[in-house]
Amino acid sequence: MTMDPNEHTVDELEDELESIDDEDVLQSILEAEQAGRDRKTAREAVHRRLEAVGAVDEESESEGLEGDTETEGEYEETEETVGEEAEGEEVEEVAEAEDEAGEEEEEDDELSHPTRDKRHVRALEDGDYADMWVFCETQGGELIDVSKEMLGKARRLMDEFAEEYGVSASEESGGSEDGTASGDEENVVAFLMGDDCEGLAEECIAYGADVAVYHDDDRLERFLHKPYTEISAHMARGEGSIESTEWRDYDQPRYILFPATNNGRDLSAKVQAELDSGLASDCSDLFIEENEVSNPVKTGEPGVKKTFEKVLHMKRPDFSGFEYSTILCLDNPGREFHPQGASVIPGSFEPIEPDYDRDGLVVEHEMALEDDWFRVEITEHDRLEAGIDLTGHEVIVCLGRGIAEDPTEGMELGLDLVDAFEDAELGITRGIVTSSYQFEGHVEEYSKEERQIGETGQVVAPDLYIAAGVSGAVQHKVGMDESDTIVAINTDTDARIRDFSDYFIEGDLFEVLPELTEAIESGRTELEAIADGSGEESENGGESR
Amino acid sequence: MSTDTADREHYEAVVVGCGPGGAAAAARLAEHGVETLVLERGTEAGSKNVSGGLIYAEDSAPYTIDDLFDGFREEAAERPVTDYRIHNVAGNSVKTYDLRDLHEHDTDWCEAVLRRRMDSWLEQRVHEKTSETGGGVLTNVRVNGLLREDGEIVGVTCDELDPIGADLIVAADGVNSELARDAGLMDWEEPEEWFQGVKAVVDMDPAVIDDRFDLGEDEGAAHLFSGDLFEDVRGGGFLYTNEDSLSIGTVFHLDSLVEQQAEPHQLLDALLTHPMMARWLGDEYAEREYAAKLVPDSKKVAHPEPYQDRLVLVGDAAGQMQAQGPIIKGMNHAVTAGALAADAFAVTRGNADPEAAGRRYAKLLEDSGTMDKLRPRRYELARAVGERETVTNAVERVLDSPVGRVALGNPISNRLLERAYNSPFLVSMLPDTRTGYVTVPSIIGEQHGRTIQWETDIEPPTLEERIGELTYDTDVGNPHIELEDESFDASGAAVYACPVSAEDFGGGCYRSEEVTHNGSEETVVSLDTQPCVECGTCAIVADTTWEHPRGGKGVEYREG
Ligand SMILES: Cc1cc2nc3c(=O)[nH]c(=O)nc-3n(C[C@H](O)[C@H](O)[C@H](O)COP(=O)(O)OP(=O)(O)OC[C@H]3O[C@@H](n4cnc5c(N)ncnc54)[C@H](O)[C@@H]3O)c2cc1C
Ligand SMILES: Cc1cc2nc3c(=O)[nH]c(=O)nc-3n(C[C@H](O)[C@H](O)[C@H](O)COP(=O)(O)OP(=O)(O)OC[C@H]3O[C@@H](n4cnc5c(N)ncnc54)[C@H](O)[C@@H]3O)c2cc1C
Ligand code: SF4
Repeated sequence: MTMDPNEHTVDELEDELESIDDEDVLQSILEAEQAGRDRKTAREAVHRRLEAVGAVDEESESEGLEGDTETEGEYEETEETVGEEAEGEEVEEVAEAEDEAGEEEEEDDELSHPTRDKRHVRALEDGDYADMWVFCETQGGELIDVSKEMLGKARRLMDEFAEEYGVSASEESGGSEDGTASGDEENVVAFLMGDDCEGLAEECIAYGADVAVYHDDDRLERFLHKPYTEISAHMARGEGSIESTEWRDYDQPRYILFPATNNGRDLSAKVQAELDSGLASDCSDLFIEENEVSNPVKTGEPGVKKTFEKVLHMKRPDFSGFEYSTILCLDNPGREFHPQGASVIPGSFEPIEPDYDRDGLVVEHEMALEDDWFRVEITEHDRLEAGIDLTGHEVIVCLGRGIAEDPTEGMELGLDLVDAFEDAELGITRGIVTSSYQFEGHVEEYSKEERQIGETGQVVAPDLYIAAGVSGAVQHKVGMDESDTIVAINTDTDARIRDFSDYFIEGDLFEVLPELTEAIESGRTELEAIADGSGEESENGGESR
Repeated sequence: MSTDTADREHYEAVVVGCGPGGAAAAARLAEHGVETLVLERGTEAGSKNVSGGLIYAEDSAPYTIDDLFDGFREEAAERPVTDYRIHNVAGNSVKTYDLRDLHEHDTDWCEAVLRRRMDSWLEQRVHEKTSETGGGVLTNVRVNGLLREDGEIVGVTCDELDPIGADLIVAADGVNSELARDAGLMDWEEPEEWFQGVKAVVDMDPAVIDDRFDLGEDEGAAHLFSGDLFEDVRGGGFLYTNEDSLSIGTVFHLDSLVEQQAEPHQLLDALLTHPMMARWLGDEYAEREYAAKLVPDSKKVAHPEPYQDRLVLVGDAAGQMQAQGPIIKGMNHAVTAGALAADAFAVTRGNADPEAAGRRYAKLLEDSGTMDKLRPRRYELARAVGERETVTNAVERVLDSPVGRVALGNPISNRLLERAYNSPFLVSMLPDTRTGYVTVPSIIGEQHGRTIQWETDIEPPTLEERIGELTYDTDVGNPHIELEDESFDASGAAVYACPVSAEDFGGGCYRSEEVTHNGSEETVVSLDTQPCVECGTCAIVADTTWEHPRGGKGVEYREG
């Protein structure tokens, strides 16, 4: 026999069989298959061939080549398990699904739940919930960007919320979560802690919060798991003095957001465990919508559908699943999961334009902090690549590739000019950062990316910007053209920078920079004076020298 | 999706790249019921891709793109090509031949396309199809290598995701395929194996296009250019009409660019500012986009056995880019190859030998005649003599002699020439020497040509402006190319060959710089990857460690 069918897949076999017309050979292949793997599909294939060569009567219809029915069945199955309930109407996300209802669903495993015995666990049924809380992380005495971004998002969400459910909206729902009697607009509540953050709390109001609750304590200067967790949970439950909690009348926040930063991730997990709720980590989109569910764990009864109102839909890029998952945190009958919590990937949302006249309530939180919580002591810390901050100076001297002839000297001349001013810094173009110029040791540190100005560097707007040997490419321009007065020194009168300079000095920077320095040092600090002093420059691109 | 033994994700098939090759493979795999995941590094398919581009549907091809994607011509293409000419240029003298016969040979239809529009449309169709069998398209994901187990390829690794296992891995990741390189199937060494294409998309009102090119509804024009427009650099130019723009570009042999130290953007400008263009471009020139990409030369690099273990290469990744004289066919072959690879897998599915699919795919390429188009045997013969420099020189001397000029210049030869150009057989035999690209066309231009009187006032944008108009998402602090050797000898060629760099231009990727090293002057090369358009040139002509940027990072083409 020429061929052993057992060595081939059925599709390959069909192909091979095409070329065999001999009935005996086909019969022996059939026998070999029966003796071997005895696949039904393979037997059918041989049968079909036998029919085709006229060896047997047609009894069964021959099938197309493609139909690999087994596998198809398998897919249907996956699709079903994938489909499940929570996916609901989210048509675009069909393929994503797998753990859509996932994480929170597991919460119903009441037997093994680790926080079951938490002493603070209360109001698990028929609780009152309201407001969207935002943990505003700080660093070096400032709000970090993602804090502002979350406030912006929370503001937009709660404005929409007010429109949707505001004052008179009747809230008929099968859900048990609408205990909130107010039927009112709900607030964005910022909460933060540190050693001196009242000012930051006020800034939170400017960035969209209605209420900002803060806790000050010297020992809170840096993030520490234990006290930060305890304080957050305490705040969320509305514990503390009357004064500090009278602004609210609910048991726990309805929603809570944390930044998905290193500290925020830690804190989010601990606080949500403490509050006995769930967490959708690393989210990149949020929206509030109702959700219809048929899962008996959630509805309490098989076959019954139930609509949950005001559900926070937390979308997260799900690399181990597919595309995005939308995580929901839904109550069970007799056991409620609030706040519905998420951590948010930095950069996902836009902050709102800060308005320092916005009205809002700043509340100092009171609570005794146990010494025991501070057993971890930070003995040393180091902020990685603090970098150079070029913003906020009166003058920036920026050097470009015009220094090529003698990079080290060019850099020295630039630094001399910087020193001549009271409050100046040295910036450079990308052209220098990426050059192969050989700088001597003492100026080399000034040639690094941390001083780059432009689209992919820093954006500055000093009173005076002096650009020496800079051509003024758009990517550089966007980093400096908000400067009050721009002075360019360039040998090329066609250089683009001339289009957006207030003063254009045509000349070799190796000559012009020392003259400028001298002029400044000799007290003629007025720029006009310098320009006029040399007698020849004129405004907007006049030529000289 | 499932997880395989090593507790990693597993799909039946993973397709890397969602250009025409990847799209065809994925669509066909889904039709076979195969669970297929497509990974694409662009924010959207097409955002990284460039072609001329005319996509052909060949009568003889086993698959064409509209076989696989219903409505392709209506939804994803620009204009069908109904007018097809070549212009031989010598100075201001131009001789034009109608090339419709060559163009229509074996052609069912042919459409001009812009890749952002085309590929993003394909991506959606592919996502729909593959979602039905448990997969889908993921964008912003760059595959950075092959996953191996006991030395055998079993999946892919990515910058953004955990490793993914698969029974079939389709590398449809285009020219400069990192997967083909990883597998050792292709290398990036020899400039003579590549072309470099550079292109401008020029804004133009549809009615103006119809008027200037004398087109009616559902008509389009294609013009090719050759001759001394480009000095001695071997290559040619093209102009295709889109719905409301023109695609104008040049394609040159990379080795010739390097030899002649030519600046690609200047070659493009030479075409744009030639007087013969004036009647089409008018005097207002609005460039929408400047783009560039390498193109493999299938005659030299199409891999006869493009597979290893469970990995198959399709399209540019396998070198399947056919330059049939002036006609460039890459997209159509990528489609054919992708579909054939899918068919090969469907038939061998379940076979214990991991190479069964690859073997069968290679056989299908051969049996369908695709391989013979890509690497015509007669070319291998012609090349043996034709490309040797001595022969070139000898032929050139003859052409330069009065006898040669008369031979090409007499009226009979004019008719013969048109016939010769229109013969796919002869055209495919044209060896890649100056003779074919420059000397013959320019002599034709001189002897037969009509002198163009039009003037052109067009001022193409400078490189700086062109870079300024492009969209980049810079991966700050994470350059995707590293310069290994900054000496001018090793990497200086990139200063001119890089399409966004130039001698005396500080804003490009590669810049030559004079530095003093212990007192002695030296010319070195520095690199900034921010303006990079990811064309692949410096991977070949400079001493670099070259990768694509992470998913979604780098340049984003809007037209392509
Ligand atoms: C100027 C120019 C003119 C041309 N003119 C024509 C023409 O007129 N007609 C024609 O048929 N052909 C033309 N070509 C050639 C044609 O563009 C290619 O042959 C064709 O695009 C190849 O298709 P492909 O699917 O193999 O690869 P591509 O279209 O290049 O697709 C590869 C895809 O893979 C993605 N990718 C790459 N690496 C990774 C990775 N590591 N991880 C994830 N994704 C990745 C890319 O983003 C891309 O989407 C031209 C080319 C150029 C440059
Ligand atoms: C995506 C992207 C992002 C980018 N981001 C940035 C960014 O954030 N910041 C940035 O700066 N660039 C950025 N660039 C690079 C930018 O495009 C320019 O390449 C760069 O700014 C040029 O630097 P330059 O002006 O120093 O050099 P050049 O463009 O080379 O200009 C040098 C100038 O010096 C003049 N000159 C020469 N000799 C002398 C002399 N002796 N005295 C006086 N003048 C002289 C010349 O006439 C010329 O005008 C980016 C580019 C891209 C593509
Ligand atoms: S740097 Fe290299 S890959 Fe990038 S555009 Fe220049 S030549 Fe092409």
